[in-house]
Amino acid sequence: MKHRLKLNRGLLGAAVLTLGVAFATSSTAGEFDGVTLKVATWGGSWKKNIETKIVPKFEAMGGQIEFVTGSPQSNLAKLIAARGKAPFDVMEVLDAQQKDFFVTNDFIQKIDTASMPNKQYLEDWQYNDWRIASWHTQESICYNRDKFKELGLPDPITYNDLSHPKLAGRLSIPDITSGGGLANVGAMAHAAGGNEANIGPGLEMIKRLNALKFWSRGGEVVTQLQSGDVYAAVVHSGWCVRARNAGANVMTAHPKIGSKVGVHKHGWLVIMKSSENVKAANWFLNEYNDADFQLEYARNSGVVPVNSKAISMLKSDPVLAEMLQLDPELIANELRVDYSKADISDWNDKWNRSVSGQ
Amino acid sequence: MNTRWDLILLPSFVIIGILIVASQFIFLEGSFYKDLGLGRTGTDLQLTNYIRFFTDSFYLNTLWITVKTSGLATIFTLLLGFPVAYLIARMRSRWSMLLLAGIVVATFVTIVIKVFGLIIIFSADGLINKVLMGIGIVETPYTIIGNQTGVVVGLMHFTLGFGVLLLYSVIQTIPRSYEEAAQIHGASRWRMHYRVLLPLSLPGLTVGALMIFNMSMGAFTSAALLGGGRVFTLPVLIQRTVMMEVKYSMAGTLSAVLLVTVLLINLFSIILIRRLRSARLVIA
Repeated sequence: MKHRLKLNRGLLGAAVLTLGVAFATSSTAGEFDGVTLKVATWGGSWKKNIETKIVPKFEAMGGQIEFVTGSPQSNLAKLIAARGKAPFDVMEVLDAQQKDFFVTNDFIQKIDTASMPNKQYLEDWQYNDWRIASWHTQESICYNRDKFKELGLPDPITYNDLSHPKLAGRLSIPDITSGGGLANVGAMAHAAGGNEANIGPGLEMIKRLNALKFWSRGGEVVTQLQSGDVYAAVVHSGWCVRARNAGANVMTAHPKIGSKVGVHKHGWLVIMKSSENVKAANWFLNEYNDADFQLEYARNSGVVPVNSKAISMLKSDPVLAEMLQLDPELIANELRVDYSKADISDWNDKWNRSVSGQ
Repeated sequence: MNTRWDLILLPSFVIIGILIVASQFIFLEGSFYKDLGLGRTGTDLQLTNYIRFFTDSFYLNTLWITVKTSGLATIFTLLLGFPVAYLIARMRSRWSMLLLAGIVVATFVTIVIKVFGLIIIFSADGLINKVLMGIGIVETPYTIIGNQTGVVVGLMHFTLGFGVLLLYSVIQTIPRSYEEAAQIHGASRWRMHYRVLLPLSLPGLTVGALMIFNMSMGAFTSAALLGGGRVFTLPVLIQRTVMMEVKYSMAGTLSAVLLVTVLLINLFSIILIRRLRSARLVIA
């Protein structure tokens, strides 16, 4: 009798649970029926992270996500070519593009931060009416510990430490057109005594460093570090993590630049002005800042979450905790290039003339 | 009933017109406007971009490097390719077809893979450097990344297979009996090559050289990957200007200069060869 009562209670509980789940899902299932959200982002692991974590959730709500892959620069070109009628709803933008996007806000529309509960895990400056932060990368020096030891070189602390003759032709530095190019050129300008309005000293230092190659894709750096062609590279820590995972005995050094340590590059999410899928786009922005997604993103791509909960969770990952700066105070002390003072076209022009020596 | 066979050509002309001429025209027309940033261009026709190109040593040097690396790649491709093409063309065994098939297959391999192959064998721990350092020719690893030598090697790698096939077809048109006749009359092998084979293959060789040169002038991948972001040829600079700087007008100007340079070099080469040939005929 007792058993029967227990069974009945169990059945009742299961029924209540099923009804509860059904009720809960009915409030979201079908919310985006027939909606196709187009997201402009990088390809590779960046896109894959979204496909793995966010796409299934969106599909469960009736919608589908399509990707327009490319760098933010090339996506900006697509946007311009389409005369503002963007072939996508949401776009990942770099801090270096702030002049293009956030001075006039001509290309974008306001976001609905009220519908984004995950913003509570962000710092105040990481969202406003027009944009919300997505991740940040820590541009660092990725060096081969074995080779440095073999050459009798101490672990690098500043960019200048890479100018040792034993490292000539064994360095890889980002091309200005690469993802981290502008951040690193700006940082090197500061390190060499210049600034955003005067990158000359930074370019002189880059020439002096005598790099083997100016890389344009992060994957190249991983290959170069693995093959032993380069002993150190200026690259965001995520690529260094990947090189470590690929078997190279590498470590990150967050360069000391005056009182700052490390270089901070920030990603933003925006909703395009021409988007008609506003609700879905806002949902996407919130999901992007979900702690689980941010954590997964960080583990797979080596970017640093902007979600503080995810940052805390990341500290339990031994490799990432060793190679990234995860302490909020350290993150706050990273150098952030002020692109509002930079003339990017002039930077490109000066770079071309300087590094090619033409 | 007369069949208008020329109408058959019409679809091809239309397609070529749309795909090549129209797209080039858009860029050429765009080159006469000023870049206003963010991919926008001005509305007034002007020569600002052309004036900048021809008064700025950076752009002139880029043009010079493009012509120089393409010219060197053409010369070395011909020097390497001619003997190979000659041997295959004159081989009597079934190996000739096999070798030819190998070259054809090699031309199918995408240039990215070819260049990465080069980068691997020329890497610090790669085969070439191990051999060079092993026999004491070099003390430190030699690299082909980030210098003009590397770009020339990459361009040769890009054009060599095509060059051999082209030269093979040229040599095939020269009857073997001419060589035999020259040798029967006492000409040494070297003299036979110099006085018989070379003059007879000169028209084909010229066309081949120009085609290899033209391919090299427009080659982007080899120059971009092996130039290491340090060697800028015009195609590399065009890509950077379009994709990264979003300056369509300046990119149009660079494209126009590249196109006109290639056309002029081709034209002068043909005129020069014709003059040389007619002078030779008069002397003869």
